[in-house]
Amino acid sequence: MICGSIFLPAILSELQAADENTSLTSNAGPLAAKPSHFPAKAKRIIMVFATGGVSHIDTFDPKATGDGRDGQGKDKLMGCVFPTRRDAQCGIEVSDLFPHLRETLADMCVIRSMKSAHFDHTEAAVGMHTGSATFTRPSMGSWLSYGLGTVNQDLPSFIVIAPHLPYGGTQVYASDFLPAYHQGTRVIPGTAPIANLLPRTSTERLQQLELQLVDRLNAQHLSGRQVDSQLAARMRSYETAFQMQTAGPEAFDLKDEDARTLEMYGLERGETTSFAWQCIVARRLAERGVRFIELIDSGSRPNWDAHGDMKEHVPLAKAADQPLAALIRDLKQRGMLEETLILWATEFGRTPTKEGEFGRGHHGDCFSIWLAGGGVKGGYVHGETDDIGKSIVRDQVDVHDLHATILHQMGIDHTKLTYRHAGRDFRLTDVHGRIVKDILA
Amino acid sequence: MRYSPYLLFCLLLSAYSENSAAEEVTFFRGLNLNGPQVLIDGNEWEGADSTNYTCNDSAFEKADAILIPPTDPERAKMIRSSRWNGNRVELTHIPAGTYSLFLYVWEDNNSETFEISVNGNSVGPRIRSGKAGEWQKLGPWHVDVTTDKIELSSRGGAANFSGIELWRGKHPGDVEPEITDEQLTFFETKIRPLLIKHCYECHSSESDDLQGGLLVDSRPTLQRGGHSGPAIVPRDVEHSLLIRAIRYEPGLEMPPAEKLSIDEITDLEQWVQMGAPDPRSDATRFVRKRIDVDEARQFWSLRPVMDPPAPILRNADWPYSEIDRFIGASLEANQLMEPVQDADKYTLIRRATYDLTGLAPTPAEVKAFIEDDSPHAFAAVVDRLLASTHYGERWGRHWMDLVRYADTAGDNSDYPVPQAFLYRNYIIDSINADKPYNQFIREQVAGDLLPAESEAQRNEQTIATGYLAISRRFGSVIEDYPQHLTIEDTLDNIGRTLLGMTITCARCHDHKFDPLSQDDYYGLYGIFESTQYPFPGIELDKTPRDFVPMIKDGNPSEQFIYGMAEGRANDAYVHVRGEPKQRGDVIPRRFPEVLGGYMLSVEDARQSGRIQLAEWLTAGNNPLTVRVMVNRIWQYHFGSGLVKTPSDFGKRGLPPTHPELLDWLASRFIEDGWSLKSLHRRIMLSRTYQLSSQCDESLRAAQRDPDNKLHWRFNRQRLDAESLRDTLLQMSDELDRVMPREPHPFPPSDQWQYTQHHPFRDSYDSTKRSVYLMMARLNARPFFTTFDGADQNASTANRDSSVTTIQSLYLMNDPFVHACAEKIADRLMSHTNSTEARISHAFELLLGRPPENAELQNAHEWIEQLEQEFEVHPENTEHNAREIWSAFVRVMIRTNQFLYVD
Repeated sequence: MICGSIFLPAILSELQAADENTSLTSNAGPLAAKPSHFPAKAKRIIMVFATGGVSHIDTFDPKATGDGRDGQGKDKLMGCVFPTRRDAQCGIEVSDLFPHLRETLADMCVIRSMKSAHFDHTEAAVGMHTGSATFTRPSMGSWLSYGLGTVNQDLPSFIVIAPHLPYGGTQVYASDFLPAYHQGTRVIPGTAPIANLLPRTSTERLQQLELQLVDRLNAQHLSGRQVDSQLAARMRSYETAFQMQTAGPEAFDLKDEDARTLEMYGLERGETTSFAWQCIVARRLAERGVRFIELIDSGSRPNWDAHGDMKEHVPLAKAADQPLAALIRDLKQRGMLEETLILWATEFGRTPTKEGEFGRGHHGDCFSIWLAGGGVKGGYVHGETDDIGKSIVRDQVDVHDLHATILHQMGIDHTKLTYRHAGRDFRLTDVHGRIVKDILA
Repeated sequence: MRYSPYLLFCLLLSAYSENSAAEEVTFFRGLNLNGPQVLIDGNEWEGADSTNYTCNDSAFEKADAILIPPTDPERAKMIRSSRWNGNRVELTHIPAGTYSLFLYVWEDNNSETFEISVNGNSVGPRIRSGKAGEWQKLGPWHVDVTTDKIELSSRGGAANFSGIELWRGKHPGDVEPEITDEQLTFFETKIRPLLIKHCYECHSSESDDLQGGLLVDSRPTLQRGGHSGPAIVPRDVEHSLLIRAIRYEPGLEMPPAEKLSIDEITDLEQWVQMGAPDPRSDATRFVRKRIDVDEARQFWSLRPVMDPPAPILRNADWPYSEIDRFIGASLEANQLMEPVQDADKYTLIRRATYDLTGLAPTPAEVKAFIEDDSPHAFAAVVDRLLASTHYGERWGRHWMDLVRYADTAGDNSDYPVPQAFLYRNYIIDSINADKPYNQFIREQVAGDLLPAESEAQRNEQTIATGYLAISRRFGSVIEDYPQHLTIEDTLDNIGRTLLGMTITCARCHDHKFDPLSQDDYYGLYGIFESTQYPFPGIELDKTPRDFVPMIKDGNPSEQFIYGMAEGRANDAYVHVRGEPKQRGDVIPRRFPEVLGGYMLSVEDARQSGRIQLAEWLTAGNNPLTVRVMVNRIWQYHFGSGLVKTPSDFGKRGLPPTHPELLDWLASRFIEDGWSLKSLHRRIMLSRTYQLSSQCDESLRAAQRDPDNKLHWRFNRQRLDAESLRDTLLQMSDELDRVMPREPHPFPPSDQWQYTQHHPFRDSYDSTKRSVYLMMARLNARPFFTTFDGADQNASTANRDSSVTTIQSLYLMNDPFVHACAEKIADRLMSHTNSTEARISHAFELLLGRPPENAELQNAHEWIEQLEQEFEVHPENTEHNAREIWSAFVRVMIRTNQFLYVD
């Protein structure tokens, strides 16, 4: 829109300017990029949260239906209700709910031994995001924003694209006791994803002239007040805001995406409400340096909470499968997968026994999630459950372990990322957390 | 239908006072409503076959029920068999006279709430039956009998009537049975030595490590027992665990080393049989973490408040007041006594006006102050501002930050609380009235229990307990509703806001840094477990209940208060590791040990203990309450406190920069009758307050003390969210300055369908001051989030003053800003036709001062440039001029001089 404007002669893209390994300058804002504890494998995270509790048995940890495990027996045991297939390349078995993702397994690391301490939606969903179900705590995205800042000051550090809120509501992206600018900025797919991004003056020129006079008056006012860094910071923030009027809508506008890309994600041009749109926007935000991007795939019903009929998984999987596979491929093609960690998670799994007509109950003792990119092994399965999908047989991973591992990939020692609140130092992982070294490439 | 038990207490209290002249009270009749004749407390009771009553209710019995608390076998038999369904008993054949009536009720399954009436008059409007097994002896209710009958009935929830006890005369209520001399001798010679010798090592308050949670060194703790249950059931040898243990029943063998002698066992059996008479009536307690109180009180914040004399300065001409002498002394001590100059009058009146009212001074107010040459000109401004109702709105909002005020409950469906505004208005009215701070606290903690001289005062004080009622609600479940989290939220706020202590660190374990034990936490917890919180509704249980009715013409009205009432008084169990289901010792309700450890008397313990808590909090010897508050006042004036961690006066907080000044202020505060307004005057009339915020970078102080800890200049402060919005409305002439005395327009509660996926999310905008906007917990208003408004979910002691791009976007593009700018532009344009005069007026209006020459010139040139660029033609002058002047106003709104107060 405006390049090299008279009022902003010196604007440089902070994305270009900020090398993540440079140290802080004293006048940088609170969201300025900060050095990591050690060299990071991943620079940003795209987290996908599948609300409601995805059945591990019917997806990424399929269980056999033999021995009468059809839900009709006395024990009501029920194996995978969908056909399954092993990926030819790495031999990982995944059900037909995810045919596209099955094609990208070589870039994925499936963890089949996740354990949740809770099997109520709210507790488990909040626990997956904050590490604590019993106390309100900052979410992982807020911790990373706090720990690493962000490289692009034109966009928020932590963006949550959520057409609906999951269980736990805003608590899943709240900053809690961390400063407010670390909380997730929720974007609702649609026309105005970030407030006040569109200039309201009758002409662009008028806004420029206004900001010029603001700048002039502020410069005069600064005399005798130079020691106050806030005043100068605010003067700069108009420049950033001016820039964001372009950067913001641009990030959410898919008009320059070519037809092949849209096709890969399965998105109709002009369509903005599908999960495919969320996935392309996630890639665009990743390209623009947003630190933590979260996609919530569903909120209130319908979601993955299939108590009555496992077939309820079908439309949800169909909506997510192709775009997620495309996201992995797309990032890989653009050379970004290595430094972008994708996490696909849900709050818990579902019971190996049938519930209702053809559904399953909540099951926290074991469930499956997967990661891709960001220095994590591809074509790899971590952990194992028993033959009915009831208990973990080896390599249990709990939420704290997962968080510790993710922070590790971001170059952060999870025991050293602390914030003093109410008289003590808090951590995302509390007093727990063990890095799952086996999954690291 | 929703009455509070306090009425019951009032009734009982009045009954007591009438009965001050003691008269003969004699047992008249006992009636076991379902079952045989029994012998209770030495009195013979009639059975169900008695002809002295009529009752058509269903009979019900559960012979194996475990009663809470345990009691002797005869009484237990009477209680376990009862009548229900109908709940009407008519006692007959009663000679004329005055009687006292007791009613035994119990619960066999789920808790019920019912109302008891005697002869049609409600005597217990809101009785809760408790959990399965709990029983209560209700009464005494005093009745004058003239027709030989008494009718007893209940309505509401199902009540199990077990038995009725009738006394002639006015029974004062149950008192502990007297111990006879003979019993006392028996206890002192046989029992006490035996307990000391064989049990105290592991089961007394002096034990190194308490075993099984059992304390045998007092009567209450023996009867309450330890983890396995009551150790002694008076007069019931077989059910007394103590006896079973000394008899060496398998698994219970005590004392473990060697079985007691036959004589000793017989003595203990005999003692239990006679009712376990025991003079040791005060409950003892075992303190796991022994806090060295004397040592703990050496910490600066726990030392007694001193009243140090103000130091004498070398530069004796500089100070206006004692405050300046304290400030000056530390500047001199740091060789920084080169304070900046005083703020000019324009700066000063803008500072004071925002500080006290959150609004800008009007051009007329500025002019009047500039023209007032008297030495008392500024004092007059301060007095004028303190008398303004806007003062209470500004400073009330500070209090609302601390008490995390919200108009919704905060559970995951965020149920509205339409009555919350009463508490908000109470805060503002109280602050405007300069209500003494100690009274302000007492009312908020125990207003419903305090004496009141009028109905208005009674209602106001009940409204004050909104402070406790607005504690956050959690979860969405009916079973195991997490009340303990709400109580934690209450304690967290009392700790931080009133005491500057992080009490809730001790919920799961003894505080790691501060002298607070887990016992301290549960000592306070019991007070709120004994208090009834109103229930605002949740997704699965949508109807609000337990609100307190306003009193009108002596009766409960249909208008309700979101306030507190007394619940069932009891001490709380320690929640081991913070888990409510893991019960540890019972901790008597009390104040934290390091603050005196005051306990409730036996009499006080019949109520929740909130009255006593309110007294302990505001006692003259409590060093924290006063220090914390004067520091907050200082902080709100200067943007930063003498203690930089205003809600943490503990070891992890920061010590005061000026400890003597802090204590001096605290002493004056008490001396001035806990008056906030007096404290404002003292602070604002100091020279320290009136210093300029500007300085030369080369100034020594600027280099040595860049954070201005020593107060060598005034701190520049950003307009907070409320001030920004209110100023824009004020400048637009749109601000509705009247305090709303009606609830927000929430839909009627029977239409509430809020769920966790579709929580409450209306906003109800208005042009009222921001303090009156509806504030929801779950969905914060974006404007307030953007400009660092208070967190509705947690006590906010310090507002951030962040600088973010989102703020700049707001100031550039938000429709509200543009609409206000247009209205302000209209004001400028109608004020005068001259460009210069319009610019000057804009400066006077928005910045409270005339423009400097360079500013005027800059602005003038800019306007001309716009007029040229926008080609102002005669036919569209009006339209374009409006656009240009709106643009100019938008510029002014974005300047640092507008957004910051020097």
